[in-house]
Amino acid sequence: MSSTDKRRNHWLTLPGMLFFFSAFLLLGLKDMDWQSFAMAVAVPLAFFVITVVLPVRLPADKMLLCVVNFLCGLGVLTLYRLNPQRGIDQAINYGVGIIGMIACLLVVRYWHRLKWLLPMIVAVSLLLMALPLLIGSVRNGAKAWVSLLGVSFQPSEIVKVAMLLSMAYLLSRRLIVPALAFAGACLGLLFLQRDLGTALIYYAIALILVYVSTGSLSFLALGTLGAGAAAVVGYQLNTYVQNRVSIWQNPWNDPYGISYQVVQSLVAMVNAGPWGSGLGLGKASIIPEVETDFIFAAVFHEFGLVFGICVILMFLLIFLRGVGIAQRARTRFHTLLALGCSALIAVQAFVIIGGNINLIPLTGVTLPFLSYGGTSMVSSLCIMGLLQGVANANQRGLEEDQMIAILGEDR
Amino acid sequence: MKLIKRKLRLAVIAISLLLVLLIVYGAYSIGISGNRWFSSSVNTSLREVRKDVIPGRIYDRNGLQIAGNDTQGNRVYHQDEATRRSLVHALGLKSGLVKNAVETFMSYLLYAYDAGYFARLSAAFSGVMRHGYDLRLSLTSGLSRYIYEQFPPGKSGAVIVMNYRTGETLSLNSFPTFDPARPAGVASDPEKPYINNATQWRSAPGSTFKVITLAAALKHLPDAMSKTYTCTGAFEVGDITITDAGMAVHGDITLEKALTVSCNIVFAKLALELGDEKLKQTAQDFGIDDHLLFSDLVVENSRYPATNRTAREVAWTGPGQSALLMTPIHMAMIASAIANDGVMMEPKVLMQAVDAGRTGKAQMTPAVYASPLSVSEADVIAQAMRKVVQSGTATRAAVPGLQICGKTGSAQVDGQKLTNAWFIGFIDQKTLPYAVCVVVNDAGEGSRQAAPLAGKIFDYLNRHK
Repeated sequence: MSSTDKRRNHWLTLPGMLFFFSAFLLLGLKDMDWQSFAMAVAVPLAFFVITVVLPVRLPADKMLLCVVNFLCGLGVLTLYRLNPQRGIDQAINYGVGIIGMIACLLVVRYWHRLKWLLPMIVAVSLLLMALPLLIGSVRNGAKAWVSLLGVSFQPSEIVKVAMLLSMAYLLSRRLIVPALAFAGACLGLLFLQRDLGTALIYYAIALILVYVSTGSLSFLALGTLGAGAAAVVGYQLNTYVQNRVSIWQNPWNDPYGISYQVVQSLVAMVNAGPWGSGLGLGKASIIPEVETDFIFAAVFHEFGLVFGICVILMFLLIFLRGVGIAQRARTRFHTLLALGCSALIAVQAFVIIGGNINLIPLTGVTLPFLSYGGTSMVSSLCIMGLLQGVANANQRGLEEDQMIAILGEDR
Repeated sequence: MKLIKRKLRLAVIAISLLLVLLIVYGAYSIGISGNRWFSSSVNTSLREVRKDVIPGRIYDRNGLQIAGNDTQGNRVYHQDEATRRSLVHALGLKSGLVKNAVETFMSYLLYAYDAGYFARLSAAFSGVMRHGYDLRLSLTSGLSRYIYEQFPPGKSGAVIVMNYRTGETLSLNSFPTFDPARPAGVASDPEKPYINNATQWRSAPGSTFKVITLAAALKHLPDAMSKTYTCTGAFEVGDITITDAGMAVHGDITLEKALTVSCNIVFAKLALELGDEKLKQTAQDFGIDDHLLFSDLVVENSRYPATNRTAREVAWTGPGQSALLMTPIHMAMIASAIANDGVMMEPKVLMQAVDAGRTGKAQMTPAVYASPLSVSEADVIAQAMRKVVQSGTATRAAVPGLQICGKTGSAQVDGQKLTNAWFIGFIDQKTLPYAVCVVVNDAGEGSRQAAPLAGKIFDYLNRHK
């Protein structure tokens, strides 16, 4: 439990700070840009505060904090390099996300006093999910965006947090039917929005949580079959899906037309070589949607194959760390919640990186922590907040045990 | 609680595997196709780097410069037009008009794309043009030029000469050709002279394919070389009759004799005796139906006809007709495999790349592509091919004093008056390890139109060893 030891800092903190310091310094020297020098101080400082100062007040898994915040910082850096304004915006999103993360940590901590809110959470979630269909706008073939009071956001991203919380709670109480009904309603609305990438992620998470809580292999098999059937039906009905599949089958059929994006992503990656084009020297900005869907290709392009593999390994690390937290959790609710959170981040990373390297058809989901976008950043960090909430509970449980061991049973 | 934690395991393994799959698939696809993606015309980054880097010079295997740069940084090719025309398909153009040729496919080296971060950074700061790596190819410009001069004028086709021990290609000629110094109008020429017929064009190989039918017989029929087959001059399969050139009647003959006289009837019977599956299996052992993505070349895949065919179609495959499609370079590789004790080498074009300081950046290393034959099987086929040159259809490829083995083909193609003339063969001598494939389209019999040119090439190789 050294990572949640209050006194010691995690060894990853210093390399992370050095990385961002030198990266922004280099960008600053290249263009003699004072804003970059300011970032060279601000980003490492934020990294320090979040990974060292914050855990003093709120015990959390420090290694997880380090890796997640490294990825967030990498996203800010890459976006800043592509378009400085976007980088600054993303830094603000990052700040808001951290607040969300702390809030979610506290929600898990005080869940026993907040669980009466559950019906409301479910109702608000479904309302939010229905919003895009009522007043939404279409982006990239999906009607998943909403503008309210001048703020444009993607409800399905926020509802992810609510879904994880409510499914974990309902399933921990063996309320399988309500859990399935909620997940099913979310999925139905996502299908109507044609946001199939997000639907895939919701589906996978619901399937995993139900399987783990019930232990029913037949449910797992049935669910997988159902997903296959849904994919076939979706393919038959939707020309947009057919397009994406044909691009996936052979992107080189029409490299200047429909598969321009994917082809440019592949080309950007081979241009990188093992060590990348070098920060600030790449040309990833020619990939359409590079700031959201193809941020992985941009990172790969500038930092190279080895670093690209490391990014994937960092997601694997987050996942396995999250599973470790789930293993140590003391209640069914905490186990399911921690598992759902870590699985969601991993599956989402797989879906979009797989699209970037043309392993699977491209779907427009974001890469957690890295892609540009306020809703995505906030929801990813909130999910990490839920996970840290479980880590926090584990830690306090452990402390109680120690206390009991010291004071004896008559406490 | 315990149940949940036990059930976690499956989910954890599945998701972890997905993430590992990303790494494996990404590295694999970049390894296999990376160079094709990189050198494609879609790569604007390559276009950009071309503005900042002076491309490396290109030399032939004897150190003769075949591509350089003038003082303005424009590409200049060899001063002799015949040499330029004979090499253009292998070298290609900066514009990428010839697909997957050295100028584009090897841009990674020509433009020193792997230069270190600091070299790039200092170039970006100072604005000084960087130099790409100089390449030495396995091609011989003298031989290429000789083939260009000896190829029947006005005909289309291809000639490949390769070292069957190492896979080095000495010549990759394609016809019709064009002068890279005058590329205007070539792209719109209806004859499409920019297509590399050696690697990108495929057609029925005719009787040259009989060496593969023979290989299948050696693998699957234990008494193949001892028993006799009967040729009555006509063989009815389904609704057609297979006959031989000149309505010949060969009588009772062995397979070796059948190869020597190139008897269609015996090889059609052999194909039926073997069956489609076994013949296809052997063809695939030789790389037919493979995606031939080599480190130096991209070759259109050769094709064995689809399954569930009629007896007539199977029969016609034995002598190399039916819907078979082969590229000339693949036939050269097949001849090479027979010559090289059954081991098929990957064809190579690049010998060496060096930077301005003469430091090596790439070096040719021979690579085995497949091992379709055992040593004894290869020897039996080579012996039969030796007879073809001594007393059969390929006597015109013979060169006094050389051990030449070969096989001719006259492939019928729909809509063409004359057959495509094919020849594959090799010199069976340690000191001259060369294999050849000659194709002259719409020209007539392989024995008259392709074999003599092969003979001249063997003679040239002998004189210039």
